[in-house]
Amino acid sequence: MKFLGFIVVCLTGALLLYGTGDFSNWGDPNSPASLHLSNEYIERALEETQVPNLVTAVLADYRGFDTMFETAVIFCAGLACFLLLRDFREKKQRFYRHIPTGVILHVKNSKKVLPVGREFEHIDKDWVPSDLIIKTVCRILVPFIQIYAMYVVAHGDFSPGGGFQGGVIFGSSLILIAISYDLKILVRRIKEKVFGIFAAVGVLIYVGIAALCMPMGGNFLDYSKLAPLLPGDPHHVRALGMLGVEIGVGIAVTAVMVIIYINIVSEGRLEEGL
Amino acid sequence: MDNYPALIVVTPLLAALLAGLAAWIEDRLSYPIALMGLALSTFFAFKVLMQVIGSGTIHYRMAGWAPPMGIEYTIDLLNALVLLLVSGIAFLNLIASYPSVNQETNDRAASFYTIYLLFVTGLLGVTATGDLFNLYVLIEITSLTSYAMVALGDRDRGPIASLNYVFIGVIGASFYLLGVGYLYLKTGSLNMADVAHILSGIQGSSTVLVGFILCMLGIWIKMALFPMHVWLPNAYTYSPVAFSRVVAPLMTKVMVYVMIRLMVTVFGLDYIFNTLHLADAAVWLATIAILAGGVMALAQKNLKKMLTYIIVCEIGYMVGGAWMGNQLGMTGAILHIVNDALMTFALFLAVGNMVYKLKTIDLPDLKGLFGKMPWTMAGFVLAALSIIGVPPTCGFFSKWYLLLGALEAGAYHFAAALIISSLICAILFFKVFEICFFESLAGGHETAHGVVEIEEAPVSMLIVSGLVSLSIIVVGLYSGTIVNSIILPFLK
Repeated sequence: MKFLGFIVVCLTGALLLYGTGDFSNWGDPNSPASLHLSNEYIERALEETQVPNLVTAVLADYRGFDTMFETAVIFCAGLACFLLLRDFREKKQRFYRHIPTGVILHVKNSKKVLPVGREFEHIDKDWVPSDLIIKTVCRILVPFIQIYAMYVVAHGDFSPGGGFQGGVIFGSSLILIAISYDLKILVRRIKEKVFGIFAAVGVLIYVGIAALCMPMGGNFLDYSKLAPLLPGDPHHVRALGMLGVEIGVGIAVTAVMVIIYINIVSEGRLEEGL
Repeated sequence: MDNYPALIVVTPLLAALLAGLAAWIEDRLSYPIALMGLALSTFFAFKVLMQVIGSGTIHYRMAGWAPPMGIEYTIDLLNALVLLLVSGIAFLNLIASYPSVNQETNDRAASFYTIYLLFVTGLLGVTATGDLFNLYVLIEITSLTSYAMVALGDRDRGPIASLNYVFIGVIGASFYLLGVGYLYLKTGSLNMADVAHILSGIQGSSTVLVGFILCMLGIWIKMALFPMHVWLPNAYTYSPVAFSRVVAPLMTKVMVYVMIRLMVTVFGLDYIFNTLHLADAAVWLATIAILAGGVMALAQKNLKKMLTYIIVCEIGYMVGGAWMGNQLGMTGAILHIVNDALMTFALFLAVGNMVYKLKTIDLPDLKGLFGKMPWTMAGFVLAALSIIGVPPTCGFFSKWYLLLGALEAGAYHFAAALIISSLICAILFFKVFEICFFESLAGGHETAHGVVEIEEAPVSMLIVSGLVSLSIIVVGLYSGTIVNSIILPFLK
């Protein structure tokens, strides 16, 4: 079987090599790929969409339909993680830590949460005291990371960036809270439900903006028809539409990042884990 | 309204998101939202089919950009037909599946409906699009959702089956994407019509040839053509019944559609059959697939798994027909997409009803089922006869076209495989009938899970099952109309 696999790999490699025989030269300005569509995008995108960043213009406008489904793919990934990993069963054993003394109570086979009062905290099996230096540094860093994330989302149409990157950065700031403190702290501040709703709302913003163009008399995703609804210069309406969908993407990506993280590290319990 | 083409795909997507949101407020809201979304989508698909038959191909520009720059939906007779098929089957299955979903995945029903809708969105998008890369994105959605669904099935074997499916499915999708990359390198375009136009000038290029082979390999892996089928039987057997009923008839058939679309629209039949000399090899591969699928089906002890091997066999029919290189074979392949989707759906509906009552589907556990579930079994028999190819069921007519095509092309080995596989299917199904009909059953039903009282399945499941079984005969009787008004005009 291994030998068979080796033969298949060799054949595939030979096929790929054979295909390279007719490739155009590296960086050749006369290759078909750089003659056909690229030129048109480069020449016309700024004029047609008023967005200086060509990548964003292609991503969110010319091929915005693809990007909408890419966002849906991310939503799928988050949903799949939730669906497969989330475990709603009750814990079998619980640990309580007496804060002033550090004594840990271990209760086996208890379905109920004991009324232990404020001096105790619930902890995990693999609980480690959080480090003061790490906590403090992360606490200072998190707001800056979040502001930077919002900048990346908002500035996507002028400079490299956009909803996907910004969303990932924002999500990582939340994950940093979970790592430096405790998963429970994050889930207590922002409920799981909120992440779930945000993931759907993010994609819904994209699809909603796109679908809104249809009753306004345009094709699906045709932002230019939204002009009557938006303030400012009607020429910029495409740029505004793109900003709208980028924000949607950012929200969805943030929420999905966190959903995937919290479900994987805690094996779906959202209580234990890192 | 001229937005119907977009709405067919966007309505289920919107419904999926709304169903997902509604689940956080009230669990029970998701089901009606899902039902509404698919009903609308089916309605739009029907409208579009009528429009295409009336006034020809529809071109719908996403965001209003002209084709090579933006993404375009090109809906001609073939995809209009497949769109109606996909949305219709998905809608009917949702009606029939309400009890099964509650039974099998009770605590995550809302997420189930959301994923289900996203899966259907993906299939519809794959069918409607006229853009090579957009096709890939939507294949990704269908695959991702089906991985999740399979893992949700059988507690022990579902996750393993899903993992297998993930590995092989990702390789398939990457092959397709790599092929599109090779094509982009030579054409600089992603729009199917535009690529086809440019390709007609550079037919000798080795890069185009490799791109073509890679695309075909990717799609073949996705449609489970033998020997790339290893993921399919376990994935479809161990997924939740409500999902296997929609994935078994639709996923492979949509991939066959993609193959035919690439062959006819993008590369052109002239390039494939006159410039390349791969057709004979592909027909041989299909012949082997038919025989291997049939033989492996014979060895199965579980009804659901047996049916999945029959799917592997049916894939061979369609691939062989499409690669036959004549109009009869292609007609047979396209007609078989419709027929096989209906037959497989009817079979899996019956299997779903059995699983709902019996909790098991191993062949020895089906004793005396004719007496206990007469209506379910009636639907099952009708679908089985159609798979065997008994006239006037629809399965006969597409097999007839395939057979004529094979004889015209001189592919006698394929014709022989068709007949042998019909015989194998006859043996398989009569074996099942024998167990269900002749072996007696007294009182309760004894299975590996203990004794279960069985009676007929819920009415909603039976109505859908009956409707689909009848449609097998109706489509069979009207197959001449389908061929003359849809398939032949498409192939011209």
